[in-house]
Amino acid sequence: MREAGRGQRDAGSVVPAAYQPPLPLDRLILPAGAAGAGDRMELDVLIVGAGPAGLAAAIELAQLAKGYGRDVTIGVLEKAAGLGEHSLSGAVVNPRAFRDLFPDLADSDFPFRAPVGKEAVYLLTGGGRLRLPVPPTMHNGGNYVASLCEIVRWLGARAEELGVNVFTGFPAAALLVDGERVAGVRTAATGLDRTGKSGPTSLTPTDLVARVTALAEGTRGMLSQAYLEWQRVASANPQIFALGVKEIWETKRPLDAIIHTLGWPLPADVFGGSFMYPLAPTLVALGLVVGLDYRDAGLDVHQLFQRMKTHPLFRGYLTGGEMVEWGAKTIPEGGYYSVPARRSGAGVVILGDAGGFVDVPSLKGIHYAMQSGIFAARAIFQALSADGPTSERLAEYDRLVNSSYVMHDLYRTRNMRLAFKDGLYRGGLKAGLMAFTGGRFPGRRIAMPPDAAVARRVRVAAPFVPDGKLTFSKADAVFKSGNATRDTIPTHLLVGQDVSREVAELYARMCPAGVYEVADGSLRVNAPNCIDCKATDVLGPRWTPREGGSGPKYKKM
Amino acid sequence: MRIAVCIKRVPDSETRVKIAADGKTLDEAGVKFVVNPYDEFALEEALRRKEQGGSGGGEVVVFSLGPPAAQETVRTALAMGADRGVLLQVDRIPPDGWPVAQALAAALRDGGYDLILFGKLAIDDSNHQVGPMVAELLGLPCVTAIARLDLADGRGTAEREVEGGIEVVEFPLPAVLTTDKGLNEPRYPALKGIMAAKKKPLDVKPTALAVGGLDVVALTAPPARNEGRIVGEGPAAVPELVRLLREEAKVL
Amino acid sequence: MSHVLAVLEQRDGALRKVSHEVVTGARRLADALGENVDALLLAGAAVPGMNELGRLGADKVTTLTNPVYRLYAPEGYARAIADRAKAGGYRAVVFAASATGKDLAPRVAARLQRPLAQDVTDVAVEAGAVVAVRPVYAGKALLKVKLAGSPALVSLRPNVFTPVDRPKAGVVEVAVVEGAPGRVTVKQVKAAEAGALDVAEAAIVISGGRGLKEPANFKLLEELARAFGGGAAVGASRAVVDAGWRPHADQVGQTGKTVSPSLYVAVGISGAIQHLAGMRTAKVIVAINRDKDAPIFKVADYGIVGDLFEIVPQLTEAIKKLHA
Repeated sequence: MREAGRGQRDAGSVVPAAYQPPLPLDRLILPAGAAGAGDRMELDVLIVGAGPAGLAAAIELAQLAKGYGRDVTIGVLEKAAGLGEHSLSGAVVNPRAFRDLFPDLADSDFPFRAPVGKEAVYLLTGGGRLRLPVPPTMHNGGNYVASLCEIVRWLGARAEELGVNVFTGFPAAALLVDGERVAGVRTAATGLDRTGKSGPTSLTPTDLVARVTALAEGTRGMLSQAYLEWQRVASANPQIFALGVKEIWETKRPLDAIIHTLGWPLPADVFGGSFMYPLAPTLVALGLVVGLDYRDAGLDVHQLFQRMKTHPLFRGYLTGGEMVEWGAKTIPEGGYYSVPARRSGAGVVILGDAGGFVDVPSLKGIHYAMQSGIFAARAIFQALSADGPTSERLAEYDRLVNSSYVMHDLYRTRNMRLAFKDGLYRGGLKAGLMAFTGGRFPGRRIAMPPDAAVARRVRVAAPFVPDGKLTFSKADAVFKSGNATRDTIPTHLLVGQDVSREVAELYARMCPAGVYEVADGSLRVNAPNCIDCKATDVLGPRWTPREGGSGPKYKKM
Repeated sequence: MRIAVCIKRVPDSETRVKIAADGKTLDEAGVKFVVNPYDEFALEEALRRKEQGGSGGGEVVVFSLGPPAAQETVRTALAMGADRGVLLQVDRIPPDGWPVAQALAAALRDGGYDLILFGKLAIDDSNHQVGPMVAELLGLPCVTAIARLDLADGRGTAEREVEGGIEVVEFPLPAVLTTDKGLNEPRYPALKGIMAAKKKPLDVKPTALAVGGLDVVALTAPPARNEGRIVGEGPAAVPELVRLLREEAKVL
Repeated sequence: MSHVLAVLEQRDGALRKVSHEVVTGARRLADALGENVDALLLAGAAVPGMNELGRLGADKVTTLTNPVYRLYAPEGYARAIADRAKAGGYRAVVFAASATGKDLAPRVAARLQRPLAQDVTDVAVEAGAVVAVRPVYAGKALLKVKLAGSPALVSLRPNVFTPVDRPKAGVVEVAVVEGAPGRVTVKQVKAAEAGALDVAEAAIVISGGRGLKEPANFKLLEELARAFGGGAAVGASRAVVDAGWRPHADQVGQTGKTVSPSLYVAVGISGAIQHLAGMRTAKVIVAINRDKDAPIFKVADYGIVGDLFEIVPQLTEAIKKLHA
């Protein structure tokens, strides 16, 4: 694998990092009291993001407050118009965090679809498949197939019952700081036109000032990135990402097992695999996950996923059925070595995917996210009851996470994903060894570059013609994500300088939603198509928060 | 001004329609419910009129006939700025506009409203009738589907889109109006509005509906279209297309 | 005597085309009931064309004239029609689901305290009761309803009840009547755009999308519309309405109008699903697009692949010749 530095480019390759603007810290970090907000609200605890981590934190905090007879005002800001609309995952969920959060409830009370029964793992070839033994890290006995959207809506209802204020349709656009302390956030403006001008129904940003701000923004969270960069919090490896593209189908043929595959149609030098889970026997969730460190600029994850469905294994289930939802999201894959050295500071904690708590070998993140939320809530409550949310007090959150199964699990698989940088077969071999030795061999940290620094060979890709029945174009796919973003919204994507045609092609292939097109040799940006997967933030133009309610409206993803 | 706005809880316009097991109603599993978009124009108009009324005071009261979950719908209206809400609670909203109109008229009758506003239709059943029916029951003048409104000295002028033109209509107050797209641009509820809404009065009144005369026989998917075909390429294909349209499709 | 009352419409002293559809729908009901069709028109003065309604199935055609009825008078019309319906003991009252009809029918229904099925695409009689079918959920489903009792009130979606010859006596009478206009006064009907036919009413809709490249090119479609001799309107996809090329009134799609013309021609429109929702019930769909893989070809009944800038003028010429 060849690592290229910034600005280096030879005739046949591009390095995405050379074209990426830096994180606009001057926009993302503002002094508390800065001009620009129309309104101001005060809360005790502000949680940014109503995903599993944020809602678990809100619920645990509200339960503690209730139990101790304390009054703690809790607000959760969510950029989607409705709970769950930006949530997407496979998913097969480990119930332990649910049990920790709701000790009085039984598994049957939780918003799961069905317990995992049969499991199968296959290595796919162009026309066939080879059944593999299920790797030790991937055994899912005792876990449940679930829809993350349904989980989030359920958690949201529990939170509201406990008096938590959940504000949907309000993205946090900037951190408010007071010296080194995080003092709250400022929301994004709404109702601006294409040029950024406000109109009669525009809403100016609101400042939400809080004693503690919990950043639970999910994958590639803006404010989390900004905080860590501003405070120069390091991690051993940079965070790396995979892009998952997923569909839900109503099928004629029932599925009674959870299935994972490796191999076809992914080239051997690309990390990734697929999943197919039954939400109900004839309601199937399936998707393809691909590491964004791929070396071929012509690789298009959405297209690969569409091709994948033509394999007899998938075609057999999908034929005669109907695709009812489509979506995509990135997943932080760096594991143990990419988790920041600290995820807390004065007035702030970072939860869930934003903190990198995802275990790729077992494809798990939801229960880690919730557990991190629970720990954060406990640390916050203690801090508020004592001398306040200082960095020392909130460091308790880090101690709780570090000494728990969360970090223990991540440590055990710390090099498995990283081993795949050597390709499927050598990497697979290494990963297999790690699995059998509990991570001890090979044990030393494998260094990884950030995805954007990886050079990609330019290649003219063959055009892809979807059939509209089994395979779909990006335009039709985006429609099925429920995206109905206002067409006149100002663009939220920060494009770098001098984007060449080859780079524009790379962006067009990278984005699953068709935001980027090459028109007349230059880059055209269809920003309203964006479904907030964040692949662009990893490899291309930087993503920034936009008007609340923009983006997808997932229902069962 | 005292203004009443009647709103309806409806499935989101992007809803994928699945028919319930009874073959007559929508399967509501996983369906997202919102304030009927046409009612938002009514609500926005009411809020603007009240704000323009200045220190004379005024009140915007929101009414909705719906199931218990419609409380959330009323709260959304309160978050936009309405002062208080009334939910006429029923088990299910009937498919027949007449009993709905009767229940709403009874609740509105003694309110002394200068204006009673509705959206022109609800995007689920498109019945397009409750507003004018309520007006008849209350004996009030009514104009439907207004896209422009001017009020002065106890009288109003409205414009409504008709085929190939715009109808200009005058009427006295108090009146019932139903609103169409283009009347205004509804505001987004602000965070403070959402917080304040939690404390505003919301009256829940269990309501018995009169027996209507319209019943649902069945709810079905629309018939699937047949596969079409490409007739040819370029301008040379035009004569064949015209022939097919005349002789086969019989539309020319 | 329990006949079917068909409520007609006029504007500027001329019978509106939709009146033929109302008679047709009323005739369908009346045949199922074994009854007559009485057509009723309110107008400022007698209006030509009434005697043609016998051919479409009207047994009797009545015009009630009064100066206050020249323009639509909501309260005056509602009272007159409700009184007539009551006095005549009608079994059903049929309106057009035009802008006027959709306003008028609920008022009449409330006066008669009867239910109303608005904007229906089919009417019939089953087990002695009037049943109707109406699109709901923006055309994503069809609702069949049964109207109990008498009279049953329905309004018919324009462009669906294609007039058929069902000749009946068509006795014409004109009566000057008293009329009170009511409190709601229509002052005038202003022209929206000179001579423009409304997208929701036209029998033929020619819709343009981004493939037209710029707003000025819509004149190609306007010429094609003119070639059809007055029954055609130009519509637009959401993309071009949002780009400001065409007014919202022309938009066909989910948030624009729902159209059901006999012929819908999609020019330079790719056919993304949003656009299709609005034209779902059109009788015949023709697509013209240079991309043979455009999704619209899957929905169109007939398609031509190629450069629209060459094809549309050719089609315009062919249609002109047809009508010459």
